[in-house]
Amino acid sequence: MASLRGMSQAQIRFPKPDFESGYQYPELSYVVPNETLWVWLDIFMLILLMGIVTWAVYKKRTRRPIFWISVISVAYFGFFRSGCVCSIGSIQNIALAMVDSTYHLPLTVLLFFILPVLFAFLFGRVFCAGVCPFGALQELVNVKNYRLSRAVTVALGMIPWLYLIFAILYAVTRSRFIICQFDPFIGIFRLGGDVGLILFGALLLILSVFTGRPFCRFLCPYGALLSLFSSVSIWKIRLTRKNCINCELCHNSCPVDAIRAPYANKVKEKRTAGVRRLVGYLAILPLLIVSGAFLMRSASPDLSRANKEVRLYDLVEEHEANPEEELSLELEAFYGQGRTMEELASTYEAKQEEFRFYSTVAGAFIGLVIGLALIRLSVRRTRKRYEIHHADCVACGMCFSYCPQNKPSVESQKLSES
Amino acid sequence: MNKDIYRNVAAITAIFIISLSVMLITNYFQVRGVSPLKMEVVETLKQLNDTSSDNLELQEQIRQLDLLARRAYFIQADHLKLGVYILLGMVLVFVTSLRFYFKGEMHIPDKEIDPIDEWMLKSKSRKYITWGTLGLVVVALLFVCLSSPFLKTDKTDGEAAETLLAENAQAVDDSEIAETPLKPEVPANELDMIDEHVPAEARDTIDDTTNDATLANEVLPAVSEEPRPVVSKVTHNAFRGNNSNGISAAKGIPVKWDLGSGVNIAWKKEVPRQGYNSPVINGNHVFFTGADDKARELYCYDLTTGEPQWSLEATDIPGSPSVLPKVTEDTGLASSTVATDGERVCAVFATGDVICADMEGKRLWGKNLGVPDNHYGFASSLLIWGNTLFIQYDNNSDPKLIALDVATGNQRWVKNRAGKSCWSSPAIAYVDQKPQLILMGNPAITAYNPASGEQLWQVDCMGGEVCSCPCSVDGVIFGANEYAKLVAINGADGKILWESSDYLPEVSSPAATKDLLYIATSYGVLAAYDTKTGALVKEHELNVEFYSSPMIVEGKLYLFSNDGKMHIFSTDKEFKLLASFETGERTMATPAFTDGKIVVRTEKSIYCVAAK
Repeated sequence: MASLRGMSQAQIRFPKPDFESGYQYPELSYVVPNETLWVWLDIFMLILLMGIVTWAVYKKRTRRPIFWISVISVAYFGFFRSGCVCSIGSIQNIALAMVDSTYHLPLTVLLFFILPVLFAFLFGRVFCAGVCPFGALQELVNVKNYRLSRAVTVALGMIPWLYLIFAILYAVTRSRFIICQFDPFIGIFRLGGDVGLILFGALLLILSVFTGRPFCRFLCPYGALLSLFSSVSIWKIRLTRKNCINCELCHNSCPVDAIRAPYANKVKEKRTAGVRRLVGYLAILPLLIVSGAFLMRSASPDLSRANKEVRLYDLVEEHEANPEEELSLELEAFYGQGRTMEELASTYEAKQEEFRFYSTVAGAFIGLVIGLALIRLSVRRTRKRYEIHHADCVACGMCFSYCPQNKPSVESQKLSES
Repeated sequence: MNKDIYRNVAAITAIFIISLSVMLITNYFQVRGVSPLKMEVVETLKQLNDTSSDNLELQEQIRQLDLLARRAYFIQADHLKLGVYILLGMVLVFVTSLRFYFKGEMHIPDKEIDPIDEWMLKSKSRKYITWGTLGLVVVALLFVCLSSPFLKTDKTDGEAAETLLAENAQAVDDSEIAETPLKPEVPANELDMIDEHVPAEARDTIDDTTNDATLANEVLPAVSEEPRPVVSKVTHNAFRGNNSNGISAAKGIPVKWDLGSGVNIAWKKEVPRQGYNSPVINGNHVFFTGADDKARELYCYDLTTGEPQWSLEATDIPGSPSVLPKVTEDTGLASSTVATDGERVCAVFATGDVICADMEGKRLWGKNLGVPDNHYGFASSLLIWGNTLFIQYDNNSDPKLIALDVATGNQRWVKNRAGKSCWSSPAIAYVDQKPQLILMGNPAITAYNPASGEQLWQVDCMGGEVCSCPCSVDGVIFGANEYAKLVAINGADGKILWESSDYLPEVSSPAATKDLLYIATSYGVLAAYDTKTGALVKEHELNVEFYSSPMIVEGKLYLFSNDGKMHIFSTDKEFKLLASFETGERTMATPAFTDGKIVVRTEKSIYCVAAK
């Protein structure tokens, strides 16, 4: 619905009245907002909210403060600050800054990228818990958790990695910031935007009502990155300070299916078959990398069409072939600016070369990600208790209250009463 | 009890949300295509007003309708906004009620849908990932196959090669030039007269020439129709081409002509008034100026026929001097080349008068910038970028860079410049795909942001009387002047990459391909430098005088010497002299290029070269 407002705003751009009295319009002047203050407040809020989540998860083992942080985050980072700067999109700025020394990386963007990563490395994904307005919004509308088959979620879990790789590819080639362009929630926070994306955002929210955080689990590229750091974090989130009694309650409570059950291992497979499979995957890993690189390199001309200069070149070429067709806005601008085909052709060639290189690298990474996933799924692990899978855990704190070991014992209650 | 309340509230709000959503969506689709100011009645009344502009009552009626339309639009927008807020509020109530309703039941254990055995789960996951990967591979292969050049029919290698003309110079030896390359040169006015008797090969030739696959088919049945000129999209909008960079994208350029015998001369006309400015081409228009002590005029000629289309005299300009400024004979009052954006054309004269006309010759505006204090006479050429006209107004008393709105002549911005008079002209360079406005003067080469006029960098490296203009390639800016030096500057940071002083131009401006930079001196040497290192690669001593600037077209360098001799060189590493011939008249202006044609201005005439 928010899109409707956006559409209406777009239509406001109609011409000013025709005055024939010689009336001169005054020069438009825009007040420059005091952005600096807000920027530092954003960073302060980010650190503060992540700090509170860390305290709630590690010290108190309670969900309540995290719920309120979700409310604050949606209100402040989401609706009030319109969802920008966001850590998810900052990946692209960082990637671009790493390959282009002329690109100015704002300090805020750097901090928005680095601070959640740092917290993830220290304490796990406390940013995802409720500080990220996207995750918080999904969490707040969640009413019932219907479970999805884990085989499906594992396969869908590959998407954020692919999304991350493509986002970096398009950022480093200065083509577009696809994470920002296809952000499903920004239109909702801004109460206006692309209709398709808002509908997609609404669909995700409807799904969030019935299953935990679909965007975070199956789309978020920053979540994929944080999961890496979270899995090797220095301090790890624990369900309880006491021993697990395998009651299974926490397993049911987790909205993102990050609590793994004890490994029953009922299907018997010969050890040699398992080893053979593992060795096979290790052997085809380089092949996957090379194949990915080759495929993506071959697809680079298509991928490069996302770049505006490449697209313009195609448009101009097409127009030169059919000059009787009406000029599009892009072509009008091209001819109006007196730009030359040879200059455009040289830019086009440079972009194609850039895409060939970065697509090859991206393809290699895609092969690597798929190969490592297959290898990881071929390794047997023993697990005797319910354990948190730290890469997937978003530190929402939902499980704490379900664990009977976290409840005060009758003796301690009596003691506190007396 | 409480649960029932929450359930009922959730149910009511759900109904409300659905109803409101349907209403808002319907409303959205209804208003989506509405353009509030494009009402039929208003348009009709406006047309009526155009025919009788004195009807005040009618004008008032139009204003009232206009106001009504705007008011209705904004009220509708406000209603929509209110609707969205109400909807959001209802969603909030709905979700809250639902959460309270399900409180305590949220995480009641589900029926386990996965097998208990994790190894089985992993096996299943591996299977899904493998199938997913195969799907991705198939999609990628599909894309690769669909974009394969084998499946494309609309692009030829030739076209692709043409786009790289600056970089990929085509080495053609002398004999080939003399004998073969006349194939595409059918004058445009003749193309339209072709009937079905034209052999297929000739039609192919036409297609090649015009780069318009449909043209032959279009013109074939049109024998009895009025001949239409074929207009090339390749423009030459300013001095030394678009962006004033010495490069043209024109194709099918003749390599031999002679005024005396009329070989490959499409038309030739005497110029009405003298001027050292160069011609400019846009569509079927050729623009140039001329001036003497009686008048200063802007001319438009038909590119196809050479017939004068219109002329516009620079008169009735407030502030225009009653006494003409003193200028030397070899500069004159009309040395500055005009600039056009395809919709308007602007000219400037040594009096400081600037005029702008539309393509039909209707004057749009005129203004005087103040008579420039210049001992030879003002000679900087104009340049248009976007909707801004740039004038390098470097003179002894008040040097400045002026940016005017092309449409209105209103000042966009002006930048005061340090230094003295100069006769150089601005150029646009693209650095990291961003445009920079480059000006050469005494003592510096300076880059500006063309949009704002902000100075980006400045390098003090020039001296003497600066006439030559800058050029650029791949973000590197080249500038050179006699009694100073030749410099290559990194456009990204304004740092000098290399410099040299072997050969320096006095009047002629440099031009560059990706590999070589060409300098034509007034004492007859054409030298080529390595653009990366500044090493002198090769020089040709021709014992002539160069005032005209070289133009790089179709992998060749075209350069007039003052005696009217045309010299054509290859722009590859070999830098060979491909042809050198007398054209018949002294030439100091730089020729203008478009597909299949060259327009040359000599001291007395203007003519068009188009191979027959």
